[in-house]
Amino acid sequence: MKQEKKVTGDEYFFEIAVFLATSARGCMDEPPLYGPFRLIDGLSRLIDLPKYTPCLSDDAFLKRMKAEIDEKKFLVMFDQEGFRKFLDELVYQFSKELKERTLK
Amino acid sequence: MEVFEAIMSRRSVRKYKAEPIPDEFIEKILEAGRWAPTGGNLQPWKFIIVKDPKILGMIRKVSPGYLGATPFAVVVCSDRERAYEIGGKLARDYLCIADCAMAVENMLLAAHALGLGACSVKSFSPVALKEILEIPNGIEPELVVIIGYSDKEPSRPPRFPLEEITHINKYGEKWLKEK
Repeated sequence: MKQEKKVTGDEYFFEIAVFLATSARGCMDEPPLYGPFRLIDGLSRLIDLPKYTPCLSDDAFLKRMKAEIDEKKFLVMFDQEGFRKFLDELVYQFSKELKERTLK
Repeated sequence: MEVFEAIMSRRSVRKYKAEPIPDEFIEKILEAGRWAPTGGNLQPWKFIIVKDPKILGMIRKVSPGYLGATPFAVVVCSDRERAYEIGGKLARDYLCIADCAMAVENMLLAAHALGLGACSVKSFSPVALKEILEIPNGIEPELVVIIGYSDKEPSRPPRFPLEEITHINKYGEKWLKEK
């Protein structure tokens, strides 16, 4: 199989920008619950940015959150309450981390 | 694969292997779409198959619902202009969508029967798709069918019980499964 071309940081950054723009337009017509889904999917994509941008360093906490998001984001399709709980838990993790980083 | 088994075991796949799909599979999937039911034999569909990784990449980027990268996609469009000439507003505004949806379901089942994973995507930007694929006015992209070898089998999603969605003889009359 043909070797895939390596994606540069600029290209990946642009990809996220296109995702956000098309998601914004899509959210005008799509079910309201797709809004939080796109945001959380966008966050997952954003956390991958250091993979393509050498000047950004990997963040262990964010990587852990990304794994969690990718595992649970599809709850939106069939378990609204589960999706809400997952987002609450995610925000809680972020708040704890924010406090730790601010006060250390 | 038997039809009922295919219907019951098909899932919307969102993680794929990079492995390419044999050309004969592609033709079979398209044939399955072509033989879908169509009101008044309207056949409003136009299929754009996409194998070029660069174009696939662009489609994926303007389609927030295109989750996971696939080696192949079919953009199912409808010829709204021709539909209107033949069948008026009903054909343009309703049959185009219904017929394309039936063609897509056939494709999804065919892909599944061939051992592939697939997902029907509606969350895309029609404006962007028309620009990327040079789709002329009068032709509308309805759904994108993304296809590849599944890398993760999704679990079975919940469905409403039959008794909850089925009525007998008139709406509101509860239908009960025979024990």
